[in-house]
Amino acid sequence: MSYNKNVFINCPFDEEYYSLLRPLLFTIIYLGYNPRIALERSDSGEIRLAKICEFIRESMYSIHDLSRLKSYTAHEFSRQNMPFELGLDIGCRSFSNNHLQEKKCLILETDKYRFMKAISDISGSDIKNHNNDPLILVRQVRNWFVETVGIKKVPSPTSIWYSFNDYAADFYEKRLEEGFSSDDLNIMPIPEYIDFIKEWCIKNRKYNPSLLNSINEKINANIEIMEEAN
Amino acid sequence: MAKNSHHVVPNSKGGWSVKKSGSIRASKTFTTHLDAVEYGKKISIDSKSDLIIHGKDGTIQKKDSFGKRTIKRNIKKS
Repeated sequence: MSYNKNVFINCPFDEEYYSLLRPLLFTIIYLGYNPRIALERSDSGEIRLAKICEFIRESMYSIHDLSRLKSYTAHEFSRQNMPFELGLDIGCRSFSNNHLQEKKCLILETDKYRFMKAISDISGSDIKNHNNDPLILVRQVRNWFVETVGIKKVPSPTSIWYSFNDYAADFYEKRLEEGFSSDDLNIMPIPEYIDFIKEWCIKNRKYNPSLLNSINEKINANIEIMEEAN
Repeated sequence: MAKNSHHVVPNSKGGWSVKKSGSIRASKTFTTHLDAVEYGKKISIDSKSDLIIHGKDGTIQKKDSFGKRTIKRNIKKS
């Protein structure tokens, strides 16, 4: 997908965060955008920072979740990858003199003002808090797309949340029928999960104009190939 | 999408809703999970449909079938 449809996701990748990552991916795709996330490919020969810089350069939008900044036990290090990547993204926007200046980002946190204690440099920025609640996260991300990206006639947050629940039921049902175990599903590669959301949104005709365009293009291309073969 | 099923899902008020599959509106909302499951069971039995119980994060905790098939199974929460 093109630069102006890509959304770079900067978030933790621990199992606990998956309860927020799943609805986050769903909401982005449901709204017709394309998530770019470090887990989308894992070439051991590729430098991770280079991959992240590539995603930042190729994405007009980005979502940075700083909710796991804080360490909770003695001698535990706080997580620095997320603020580091946020800095890269803001730097990319600030120091460029081309289309990258148009980049827009959403910063998410658990509480609205907690991040100021850790990163006071961005204390003047508008951020949104999700309280670690998947439903609130869906609402905040959906509202940001309306306010900042400027998309219109978007279904309500509750409607998107209910669709996500329908999607989750279909995902588990179909995958279990295909022989996946619960553990297989929990550690499913992110690209496979993203593809399933895209297929589901198209099949169920959810709000997703760009995906519908892309599937139409694929269908037309396949028809041309079949015609050439005949 | 499984057409003939009802879902117990978390709602924005911190409670639980029962909704029909594919619907973007709740049939009924409840303060407690238990009450929502009880109501979900009742209407699933009446309509011979599946009842899918979701967790707080939307993943599936349990599925019961009250239709022609009488398969009953638990799905481990992720």
